[in-house]
Amino acid sequence: MSAVEVAQVSKVFNLGTADQVDALVDIDLTVEQGEFVSLIGPSGCGKSTLLRLIADLIEPTSGTVLMNAKPAHQARLDQDYGMAFQQSGLFEWRNVQKNIELPLELKGWDKPTRRARSLEMLELVKLGQFAKHMPWQLSGGMQQRVAIARSLAANPPLLLMDEPFGALDEMTREHMQTELLRIRKETGTTIIFVTHSIPEAVYLSDRVVVMSPRPGRITAVVDVVLGSDRTEDTREDEQFYDRITEVREALRGAEMGSAPLGIEDR
Amino acid sequence: MSVSRRRVGSGTRSGGDGVVAKVLPPVIVGALFFGGWEAFVDWQHVREFILPKPSEIWKQLFDNFGLVRSASVVTGTNALVGLILGTILGALLAATANRYRAFGELLNPLTITIAAIPAVVIVSVLNNMYSVTTQTGRRVMVTLAVFFIVFVQVARGLRQNHPTQLELMRSYAASPREILRKVRIPNAVGYLFTGIRTAAPIAVIIALVSEYFGGTQDGLGQRIASNFSLSKTAFAFAYVVGGSIVGLLFFAGSNLLEYVAVPWRRRRYSR
Ligand SMILES: Nc1ncnc2c1ncn2[C@@H]1O[C@H](COP(=O)(O)OP(=O)(O)O)[C@@H](O)[C@H]1O
Ligand SMILES: [Mg+2]
Repeated sequence: MSAVEVAQVSKVFNLGTADQVDALVDIDLTVEQGEFVSLIGPSGCGKSTLLRLIADLIEPTSGTVLMNAKPAHQARLDQDYGMAFQQSGLFEWRNVQKNIELPLELKGWDKPTRRARSLEMLELVKLGQFAKHMPWQLSGGMQQRVAIARSLAANPPLLLMDEPFGALDEMTREHMQTELLRIRKETGTTIIFVTHSIPEAVYLSDRVVVMSPRPGRITAVVDVVLGSDRTEDTREDEQFYDRITEVREALRGAEMGSAPLGIEDR
Repeated sequence: MSVSRRRVGSGTRSGGDGVVAKVLPPVIVGALFFGGWEAFVDWQHVREFILPKPSEIWKQLFDNFGLVRSASVVTGTNALVGLILGTILGALLAATANRYRAFGELLNPLTITIAAIPAVVIVSVLNNMYSVTTQTGRRVMVTLAVFFIVFVQVARGLRQNHPTQLELMRSYAASPREILRKVRIPNAVGYLFTGIRTAAPIAVIIALVSEYFGGTQDGLGQRIASNFSLSKTAFAFAYVVGGSIVGLLFFAGSNLLEYVAVPWRRRRYSR
């Protein structure tokens, strides 16, 4: 049973009006249990749209989305996935711990269980001492870690991330990438990760799904065979550069010979 | 969202030696300002009914402290009553307008219309409606001004949530009721106290100005106007000082209220 199965999905915004947008056309994507898959492509190619379709935040114009063989809508009602965005989306009137407890509150967990779980999650993201801090007292990177802790609090089998490190500086970003791999290893979570940075996609993923715009479609899938023990050293590995080149060329192919727009090459 | 701008635990940073650094500059500026004013009046031989010296204003304030204080209490009370009533009214109506759409659509043009009528007209009408020996007209005037500010803020707080927060709530399969309780209302509470902070100094100004359009003679606005017209300028300035103190109290009080009631907005204070 696949973690996610997207079959023949298309999404048209503003169908039949003057601002009609064919955001996605004929998308087929299967993600296996425990896999780390990145979606990469220039701005506006429909990465966020695809992620939001999987999350059932929007509905496809045609096609089906299954999560563990369950329709996406039911999966959302059952909170079968966690989500993190570019903006941490922390609730500023709740302290760090209460933020992590929110999804658990909505699931009807009792207070002691919530408390224990949120502290456990804070340890996981190495923010154990910050339980009582308010969001504004944390740096951007720390806020993003709290958001990740929150997305994993209910122990979902799947994590959907939309450019979660996009607003962070380069140093913090690389650190967060390594942290994410560690968390993934500890929790065994399946992850779908949207990014427009090639090194980020290659460093993190088992597979990189390359997309092209107007209309948004999948043009290539690159297998990243770097093994499961990736460290900061992996970034200097020759294999790593080879995969980066492969993704870059796939993106170029998608743009039909021209240099890909809006892609970070660093 | 740079990392360097935000610091962990920065809320406690401004204690200790920072106090001197924060207090000293305004004290120096104040001393220079009043010293310069005094010297300028002496040097230019400005006549007292045009611009009195600070020392003369201070003397008037000292000699008539009881009068200035009771006038300040009258105007300050009007401002406070209006601030409280306007806040309650604004918050309640914004909540109702949010709950019942039709009511909201009725209310919006009405509030905008009221806000567009010049204050003079409203005070004059109110003074005619209520006996000129009561403070009611003035208090209603302050209430209206405060109401408008608070209404707009709370309505905004109930409606405008961060899109990411709303998407998250949807991903949690939260019901509209849960979204209201856990996101919209707490958000609106933050906006409410911002509204009160914005409205507080305005309440004092409206309370003062509304006295210019008739009514009882016991408030700061009346005393300032009548003493100026009698060329008792230094005495008028003593009342102006009273007004400044009332304004400062409202400013400090409403900031303190926000600081205590909505701690998550403290970032503003921790530069
Ligand atoms: N709610 C919407 N209404 C109309 N058009 C939209 C909406 N959301 C996205 N789009 C359009 O769909 C396309 C894909 O957007 P998006 O998925 O956000 O791209 P990406 O995340 O890859 O940058 C863009 O052309 C965008 O303008
Ligand atoms: Mg996007």
